[in-house]
Amino acid sequence: MNGFMNFMETKFVPVAARIGAQRHLVAIRDSFAAIMALLIAGSMAVLINNLQITADGATDPYQVMMKNIFGEGFKAFGGNIWWGTFAVMSIFIAFLVAYNLAKSYDAPPLQAGALSLAVYFLFIPQAITADGSGLLNDFIAKVAPGTAIPADFATGVGAWGNVNWGFLNSSNLFAALIIAIVVAELYRLLLKSKYLVIKMPEQVPPAVAKSFTALLPSMIILALASWTQMFIFSDTGLFGTNVFAVITKFVSAPIANVGQSFGAALFLPLFAQVLWFFGIHGSNIIDPVMQAVFVPAVDANAAALAAGLPATNIVTKSFFDAFVNMGGSGATIALIAAILVASKRKDYRMTAGMSVAPGLFNINESVTYGLPIVLNPLMFIPFILVPLVLTTVAYLATYIGLVPETSVIIPWVTPPVLSGFLATGGSIMGAALSALNFGIAFVIYLPFVIAANKGIERQ
Amino acid sequence: MRIMLVCSAGMSTSMLVTKMQKAAAERGFSAEIFAMAEADAKSQKNIDVVLLGPQVRFLLAQLKGIFEPQGTPIEVIDSINYGTMNGNAVLDQAIKLKK
Repeated sequence: MNGFMNFMETKFVPVAARIGAQRHLVAIRDSFAAIMALLIAGSMAVLINNLQITADGATDPYQVMMKNIFGEGFKAFGGNIWWGTFAVMSIFIAFLVAYNLAKSYDAPPLQAGALSLAVYFLFIPQAITADGSGLLNDFIAKVAPGTAIPADFATGVGAWGNVNWGFLNSSNLFAALIIAIVVAELYRLLLKSKYLVIKMPEQVPPAVAKSFTALLPSMIILALASWTQMFIFSDTGLFGTNVFAVITKFVSAPIANVGQSFGAALFLPLFAQVLWFFGIHGSNIIDPVMQAVFVPAVDANAAALAAGLPATNIVTKSFFDAFVNMGGSGATIALIAAILVASKRKDYRMTAGMSVAPGLFNINESVTYGLPIVLNPLMFIPFILVPLVLTTVAYLATYIGLVPETSVIIPWVTPPVLSGFLATGGSIMGAALSALNFGIAFVIYLPFVIAANKGIERQ
Repeated sequence: MRIMLVCSAGMSTSMLVTKMQKAAAERGFSAEIFAMAEADAKSQKNIDVVLLGPQVRFLLAQLKGIFEPQGTPIEVIDSINYGTMNGNAVLDQAIKLKK
């Protein structure tokens, strides 16, 4: 055991720590943190529109009540908020990631963000045809199969100058990430290049020279992007289609597939949990993956449900928030309960007592460091085992259809059980699964809490 | 004295901040103590001491690079004091660090 601990502390933890401070991942994490409020508001708006207590939407008491109070058009309210947030999510990311990454290099962040946004739009195909051929159909077939084109769509649609929201929503998140990172990297490298600095006579104010220096890298990047679009990502280019379809096919879709596997569902909490055991913020380290892969999974579920199709993503960010990380990583709210029920140790009871209130909002550092769980061999087994078991139970319960797929992004500080209810779009079964998982975690922690009693008696 | 505590989202450090403020008030020690999320912490200016939650101790090198050139000392909070939310001891750590 000692050798193992030593190995982990000297080899594994520093590697994980390096990941946690890696600038691209930090830029991604900070960008999602910046729009988290928008995503939660957008998600709640979808919930307000689509909440259903019974199976039939036409006679559902909630839906009928909303129509009676706010009129037939009540969904416009939530729809507007969704349109301004989720429908255009990738735009924010394209700007913010370039902004944050440039900032980490001390390159001008606003310029990098704006440039990335320009490149993003540069790649969007402008032609939309509604006649059964052309880019829209091509896009629908690849990205959102089954979407019907409205009959009046052709009105006002020209051969160019159109931006379809399907190129801006969360299904293009990876395109936004890749474009933002490539643009920000090129921009800061070109800015540093001494060949691109424009020398002005001394009489010219230095700020003028600076503005010219900033000009060249942007022009070069836009030119490169335009050529890339012409020769690689156009109808006549190398791939024969746009960059978004290519990235979806070769990057996002395979990653999303792996993300939905049971193995990935187990690996993520395990990885985070082991780090937490060594006192490192594991959730913080896996957060870029959580955001980039498992937030769109929630959005895809919500979109499918809104279109009357079955949701397909079991593993989502809300899945972990609602069913696994109850009271914080390791479902420590159940450990607190087990201590309050069965512990005879004064120090345990004191730590548990002061950890109840933060634990209700999934904050558990006072338990992990206070008890402590960190580097405590007795707590290692349940602390690692609990999230694995909870993930398995929640995965199975969703897989066999007992509990609906999660379709709402919830704030991670949402109290347990309520989180299960909200994340599943207001399903009692979601709340029940949260409660069941709490019970399971309690049963797993209990014998270890009792074993800790014996330790103190022997002393 | 301005003391900034940093953790992932600024949540758990904000609990400790309350305890430290209480400890400072009891001593009649004048200090502005606040918690910041990692993302927002980097751009803060005019701070006397930066304290890092032990769970984000891997940010130490990076934040050192930002704050030490400004003459602001930075250290990781002792993890036992952090876990027990010992405001008094962490305030002592901050004062000692400043000296």
